[in-house]
Amino acid sequence: MTAAAPTVTPIVREMGEADRRNLRSARIRGAVIAALGLVCFAAASGSFGVIATFSFWLVKQGGEAFTIQTSVGMLWLLAGIASGVIGMVQMIKGPAFPWRKSLLILVPLYVAAIVAALLDGKVANMTNVFAGTLEYAVPVSLGAFAGILSERSGMLNIAIEGKFLIGACTAAICASIAFTATGSKEIGVIVGVLSAMLAGIGLGFLLAWLGIKHKVDQIIAGVVVNFGAIGITNFLFLRVLGNNPWLNTPPTIERIRIPVLAEIPVVGPLFFSGTPYLYFTLAVMLFLTYMLFRTRWGLRLRASGEKPSAAGTVGIDVIKIRYRAMLLAGALAGIAGSYLSLSTAGSFQLGMSAGKGFIALAAVIFGAWNPIGAFGAALVFGFSDAIQSLLSILGVDVPPQLLNSVPYLVTIIVVAGVVGRVRGPAAAGQPYDQG
Amino acid sequence: MKRLRRAIQPAIVPILAILSAFLVGSVFMFITDLENLAHFPTDPGGTIVAGIVNVGNAYYAMIIGAFGDPTRIIAAIGSNDPKVIAAAIRPLTETLVAATPLIFTGLAVAVAFRSGVFNIGVEGQFILGAMGATVAVLVFRGLPPPILLVVAIGAGTLTGAAWGFIPGFLKARTGAHEVITTIMLNYVAAQLVLFGLRSDFLRAPGSDAPVSKVLWTFVRVPLIFDLPAIRLHYGIVIALIMAAVVSWFIFKTTKGFELRAAGFNLHAARYAGMSAGGSIMLAMALSGGLAGLGGSFEVLGTAGQMTTDLSAGFGFNAIALALLAGNRPLGIVLAALLFGALRTGGGLMQVKTGIPLDLIVFIQALVIMFVAAPLLVRSIFRMNARPLDEGSTI
Repeated sequence: MTAAAPTVTPIVREMGEADRRNLRSARIRGAVIAALGLVCFAAASGSFGVIATFSFWLVKQGGEAFTIQTSVGMLWLLAGIASGVIGMVQMIKGPAFPWRKSLLILVPLYVAAIVAALLDGKVANMTNVFAGTLEYAVPVSLGAFAGILSERSGMLNIAIEGKFLIGACTAAICASIAFTATGSKEIGVIVGVLSAMLAGIGLGFLLAWLGIKHKVDQIIAGVVVNFGAIGITNFLFLRVLGNNPWLNTPPTIERIRIPVLAEIPVVGPLFFSGTPYLYFTLAVMLFLTYMLFRTRWGLRLRASGEKPSAAGTVGIDVIKIRYRAMLLAGALAGIAGSYLSLSTAGSFQLGMSAGKGFIALAAVIFGAWNPIGAFGAALVFGFSDAIQSLLSILGVDVPPQLLNSVPYLVTIIVVAGVVGRVRGPAAAGQPYDQG
Repeated sequence: MKRLRRAIQPAIVPILAILSAFLVGSVFMFITDLENLAHFPTDPGGTIVAGIVNVGNAYYAMIIGAFGDPTRIIAAIGSNDPKVIAAAIRPLTETLVAATPLIFTGLAVAVAFRSGVFNIGVEGQFILGAMGATVAVLVFRGLPPPILLVVAIGAGTLTGAAWGFIPGFLKARTGAHEVITTIMLNYVAAQLVLFGLRSDFLRAPGSDAPVSKVLWTFVRVPLIFDLPAIRLHYGIVIALIMAAVVSWFIFKTTKGFELRAAGFNLHAARYAGMSAGGSIMLAMALSGGLAGLGGSFEVLGTAGQMTTDLSAGFGFNAIALALLAGNRPLGIVLAALLFGALRTGGGLMQVKTGIPLDLIVFIQALVIMFVAAPLLVRSIFRMNARPLDEGSTI
């Protein structure tokens, strides 16, 4: 290789050990994807006769439905063709091919084919699935935004779960008290949400204070909050709420139908007649993206998370930024907590966050510390949850544990860099000494 | 005198932390006692006294529940009736039973901590270890009980070690943060256990709940005392032996030194020619193995069958334990005894005074907070602030 004349094409001349390894792994990858295509064809051959029916509500739940019918074989065939093409292209183009993006096409096709095959002729109501996806995605993505804010500023945040619990509990109690005192549902709800936000801010402050002032390891501070939240809320639930049920009957938040848009078939019932939380989440997502990547504030925040010493040198008050980010993150996570008790459940229940805070953490990573990405990740996790409940309602014999594990497995795969390494803020978790 | 002071020195912050946590816990008990507080407008003084009495009663019930009633124990020793003796010493033995899994999991967290990795996944390694032991018992049920016991415990330990090895491997090879991977693996482990317990091979016949067949029909960890209703088994002895072994391993062997070196400064360790990745993988596998060993003893000695709630948060308590003990094996044994006492005592407190057992969880969180922020404790007790690094090695 070293003796090769300089006239050879640059790619060959500069090929070292690493390039050769990349080429080899690209070829293997291509072969695997193409082989998956063959598997799809094999699956297709036996299933052209099976009809998959997906139905959507037109105007409202339980009303008129609109259905799409296709044979399972066709879906497999599509997935097979796509795999074959992508596998071939990958083999020919080698490492230069952006194969990670091609997964965005392949995975949905596989999922559609597998779900259709599992349904085995039963009718799947997709509006319910998508509505369930959104319902799940709202608290998870709000929690993820909280995680993004704090980690971008350099504070590792594993306490989202604890903030959810405390937020849910505070919201239920305060909304109940305000509702009983004033008799107005609206005031009750507003007081509930605001109190959850304040509770979240309090926890955010505790985390920041322990992590920054006392230099407690940020993971340990997070463990303290998660632990303490379980202890306090269980204790309150059993000791106070159990004997005083009126403290745990908050008014629930009504859905808002946006006048014209809610009438659009299929899309209307899904997106434009949701709870205010859905609109809030979308607004926060856009606002946060803009703030993080387009403003001076965002640049400073990210600088404190990537290289606090450099940020400090140019006069940025890293400590102030981290405090503010933690308070803001606490507010968001608290609001997400209020969603749990005020939106669907209508009461606080023991351990009602049920690991959603850690799924939010997973969404932070899967979404590459980016608000829009995190929302997408929350949708993916929500979808797998909704599909799981759809399958169990239809009585399809798939172990629910498999689908329940999806968010966790995906996160492990992502942090391990098997499919596209994501990199978090470099200084997250490290205390900062202002010299 | 100086030696005595040196021996007590590392225990000062933990002891003050525990005191502070109980203090905050009693304030919390006081303000959530709505029935009592309802009288406050009419009779403030009486309310405060009654509130303090209630808190005192709760803690008294906790102590009696954890250590037994001394007068009863003395009376029982004279009586020579096994039933009376058993009833009198039962709280004490229950505390030891509760401490057993905590010693194992606390050691697991400490081994990882010493090597610079934060194993939050002890919970998952514990339940999968128990699951491994369960599966082994049912697969090899034909073997004679003593051999079966060894095989099952070995299988549980290996399962835990394997589950701990995964995040270690990922960290060493890809740099994946072990806190994230272990949190996620905890949930995957819980799902795996649920999945396994739904299978016909493991599930108890005729039961809809996810519980395994009763393992005690095949094998059981032998009991220490042959008294009625005393559940204390040899798990506690193994736990103490493991504490000594871990202590010897990390402080007296070359491998242990390498692990600690990696924990102190990974770059320096690498520069000195030690394999940093190897240390991380070894530490995580050992940590998982200890957790799995604990899980095996819990299922074969205390529970008798695998359930989804076999671990009452032992893996998480272990983090508090290891911090409280400054990752010293002897400290872990003492802290595990304390937490075990809290747990059994909390049970009696719940029965006698209606104060939920979850108070313990809250107190534990406060303990971690106060231990992790020693300046906080020192400022509460108006002690002179001293350099942070003293005694608290992580």
